[in-house]
Amino acid sequence: MSEPVISVDHVSKRFRVPLDHGHTLQYRFSHPVSSSRYRELQAVNDVSFDIGEGDFIGITGPNGCGKSTLLKMISRIFAPDTGSVMVRGRVSPFIELGVGFKGELSARENVFLAGAVLGLTRAQLATKLDDVLEFAELTEFADQKLKNFSSGMSARLAFSVAMLADADVLLLDEVLAVGDARFREKCLNVFDYYKQEKRTVVLVSHDLATLELYCDRVLLMQRGHLIADGLPQDVTAQYRRLVSKMSETGRGSPASGSGPLARKVTATTRRWGTREVEITDVRLLDDNGNERDSFLTGEPLVVQVDYKSNGLNGRFTCSVGFGRSSVPLLAAPRTSWAPDPLPPVRSGAAGTVTYRLPAVGFLGASYLLSVSLYDERNNHMYDAIQNVMEFRVTDVRGRVGWLALDGEWSHKQAGAGTLDDSGAVA
Amino acid sequence: MTTLDTAFVTDEGSRPLPSPLLERWPEHPSGLRQQLNLTRELAITAFKLKYAGSALGYVWSLAKPLMLYGMMYLVFAIFLLRGKTTPLENFPAQLLVGIVIWFFFNEATHAALTSVASNADMLRKAYFPRWILVVAAIASSTMTLAINMSLILVLGFAFHWYHVGWQSLLIVPLLVEMCLLTLGVGLFLAAIYTYYRDLGHIWDVLLQFLFYASAVIFPFKLIPLRFQSLIALNPTAQIIEDARRALVSPVLPWSTTVLHARVVVPLALVVLSLAAGAWVFSRLGAHFGERL
Repeated sequence: MSEPVISVDHVSKRFRVPLDHGHTLQYRFSHPVSSSRYRELQAVNDVSFDIGEGDFIGITGPNGCGKSTLLKMISRIFAPDTGSVMVRGRVSPFIELGVGFKGELSARENVFLAGAVLGLTRAQLATKLDDVLEFAELTEFADQKLKNFSSGMSARLAFSVAMLADADVLLLDEVLAVGDARFREKCLNVFDYYKQEKRTVVLVSHDLATLELYCDRVLLMQRGHLIADGLPQDVTAQYRRLVSKMSETGRGSPASGSGPLARKVTATTRRWGTREVEITDVRLLDDNGNERDSFLTGEPLVVQVDYKSNGLNGRFTCSVGFGRSSVPLLAAPRTSWAPDPLPPVRSGAAGTVTYRLPAVGFLGASYLLSVSLYDERNNHMYDAIQNVMEFRVTDVRGRVGWLALDGEWSHKQAGAGTLDDSGAVA
Repeated sequence: MTTLDTAFVTDEGSRPLPSPLLERWPEHPSGLRQQLNLTRELAITAFKLKYAGSALGYVWSLAKPLMLYGMMYLVFAIFLLRGKTTPLENFPAQLLVGIVIWFFFNEATHAALTSVASNADMLRKAYFPRWILVVAAIASSTMTLAINMSLILVLGFAFHWYHVGWQSLLIVPLLVEMCLLTLGVGLFLAAIYTYYRDLGHIWDVLLQFLFYASAVIFPFKLIPLRFQSLIALNPTAQIIEDARRALVSPVLPWSTTVLHARVVVPLALVVLSLAAGAWVFSRLGAHFGERL
């Protein structure tokens, strides 16, 4: 890598969060000695990394992990306590959208104001005003006061103005949590463009799908520490494990399960539901009834779900889901799509639901199995275990992709003359 | 990693710009020009917003000091100080000049005081030199001062309120001195207010005190003689008195007449306020973002 564009070197930031009214002199006078009525918050703790020119970097992590504080130190909004941040080139001055917007001003006036924050002059902005309003789809509202705009309208205006930032380094904090789906699509086109232009972008986001799609590299923060720095798929997978682990410690053990289930749960396993019917075991088998965790493409695969009714007298449905860490659901066959529903059960009864795939259609990769039980109309969840187990599929033919589709190729040549196998004209 | 994960990340060739907004600018204004441009935009915005929603709008920027003047004129020039000033001293005109200048100092320091704290949102989301907020707040009050000053000069010359001569030109450097003093005080106030909101109340009281110590509503000569040279050390009093001498009447003293060599003291205080304001502001400024 050539000389880094952003270099963050052993940066730490500590906040003193006053526990009471430290903002008034009355407090200072009445508590002259106790200057320690603060909660120390180590927002960022000894973080170092370099970002090269043209890198598209994501920073993610749970709320309060310090990712926004880190971004604010890169943009010079906060000064680090220790360590140093070096940035080369023009940096976009704002990290969130709508900075400087005033509700009492019209859309047009707000473009000039927010544009000035970007370092653009009135003359420069005047040449782009129509384009800004057009991209934001607000041309006919140019003279309407911003306070009468819907939040989506002002978000659109904010994004359009931000696009004027002709910066070498773009710092963006959760900028995609705005606008409707169609406008979001337009925003993503802009990201595509930045990526193609090889601009350096640092994107702070919770949206793992976007990070996986755009970033060359993702940093994962937890409690102020940089705990992972690597390829997007690897880091987002680690983040998902982290989140599920946090929810386990937060809510007891959702993936609980005594008995046979306990030994199978993976790190990303999560469990929900009211448990009127409960999943007691899940097995992946071959046709001979042997438990397996790896299959060859084209082999038969059997999923068996053991259940027990804890009070339900009636019907329920069962669904099995196949996914990958980056694609939660590739397929989710369910009994309600089958010709015959499951028979009604009585409280206390137990049983086994079996789903058989005559030929595994997945290609070589790891896949995750999820299982869920719903009521008859599929709107009340009795028990659902996401990512209950992981299994590998190997394709001996080494085909690329995730699914082996049953398509047929054919060929027809116009004109005469084909080559036979030896290469001679027949 | 499977080959699949990278299989689809291929070069799709150059695509057209999603929007002309993304065109790169051929050149960028210099850093200082960008900062002055932002200052101007913020100042104009503050000026617009100050009167937004009121029926008379900008008229208030004129009407307010004039109404204040009418009240003071009634109370002081007509009732309380009747017979204590000579027609040559032209106290009503002195009062007018004093109130316009004082009104600026009062309004501008108040605006500067809250300029950083009231823009907390902007400050936490964007980087720009923080002094821009203070300068913009003061610049917005300077616009009001310019309007008011022009009005009273035009009216005054038209109705021969003033004693006009070469010395009248001194009003320009005096107003510059006033703006510099306001800037120094404003930087100091804005920085401290970010940490201690009590300053808002303290400054209200201090302003009231300064108002009387600047002889705005009474002629300077009514101050007991031995206190005159002390009061004149106060830069706001010095500026207002010299402005009156420059515009209103030749019988009034220059500050040099009262202070002699000590006239450097109010000037030094202005320089000191600028230096102290700038120092405190730059010391505390790096942490405004996390303090708000």
